[in-house]
Amino acid sequence: MGNSMGNTVNNGFNLYFHPEITPSPLEEPTFDPLEGFDSGRKKRVMIATEEEMRSAKIPLEDRDYCAHLLLKFRDCRKANWPFAAKCHHEKHEYLDCQYDDFVIRMKEYERERRLRVKAAA
Amino acid sequence: MNPLIKALKPPSIWLKNNAILVTAVRNHWNKDYKPGPYPQTEEERLKAAAKYGLDPREYQPYPDDGQGSGDYPKLPLESMESRDPYYPWDNPELKRNFNEPLHAEYDLIREDRYDVSAKLRVPLWGMWAQFLGTMFGTYIIYRLLDNVKMFHSVIPKQYPNNGKTHYTFDSDE
Repeated sequence: MGNSMGNTVNNGFNLYFHPEITPSPLEEPTFDPLEGFDSGRKKRVMIATEEEMRSAKIPLEDRDYCAHLLLKFRDCRKANWPFAAKCHHEKHEYLDCQYDDFVIRMKEYERERRLRVKAAA
Repeated sequence: MNPLIKALKPPSIWLKNNAILVTAVRNHWNKDYKPGPYPQTEEERLKAAAKYGLDPREYQPYPDDGQGSGDYPKLPLESMESRDPYYPWDNPELKRNFNEPLHAEYDLIREDRYDVSAKLRVPLWGMWAQFLGTMFGTYIIYRLLDNVKMFHSVIPKQYPNNGKTHYTFDSDE
């Protein structure tokens, strides 16, 4: 897994000169997600329900796998206002979740790229 | 008004009957500012040169093309800013000698106005080369790299409830 920020420029050149092995950031993975995982993979679980998110007016782009932590964070802010700094724990938990989500996406990208290299070889 | 000042003011009856005085007082102009007629004979030429304090060999009037320059001498177009500041001018602040004839465009080429004979540090073609080089150079780089967009090496964001199953990288056991 490479770092993300340091490769941004290189990614552009790779996508331009080697589009067959470089996945675009706009396309979904093409390989079977369970290929090569002999003991299976844990599924990602969505905890917040549609009704909860709708009633809390969570923006559509925030209705991801971390939405339950966002709900908690917003709830805490509302309960403690104006002392929103008391919710630092909830905020940190939510941002940690977003970080892990980003890492999963980076890993998926790298997996897709390596499988493409393997398929091309 | 102070009666003393009133007494010193020229009575308007003078101005009414004297066009020359009206022009001189109101427009700061008098007939002596006007150049004489274009010199036709050699004798007139010498006279005009003497009038402007020029050597007859240097004296050359503007062409008689209806612009009304008359016998005014055609002096080299050299702005005051380009003159030597260290020369001992009679009027150093104007860089001008006593009785020196003024250029016909003196109001334009004064030191506080436009420098017509400027010596450019970079020649004009050089300035164009710098400008166009920057513009086209930037455009060429833009066109070459237009299809090379940088991006983070991640797949699109995963959202639940779109008919797909997403996995972590942890083992299922």
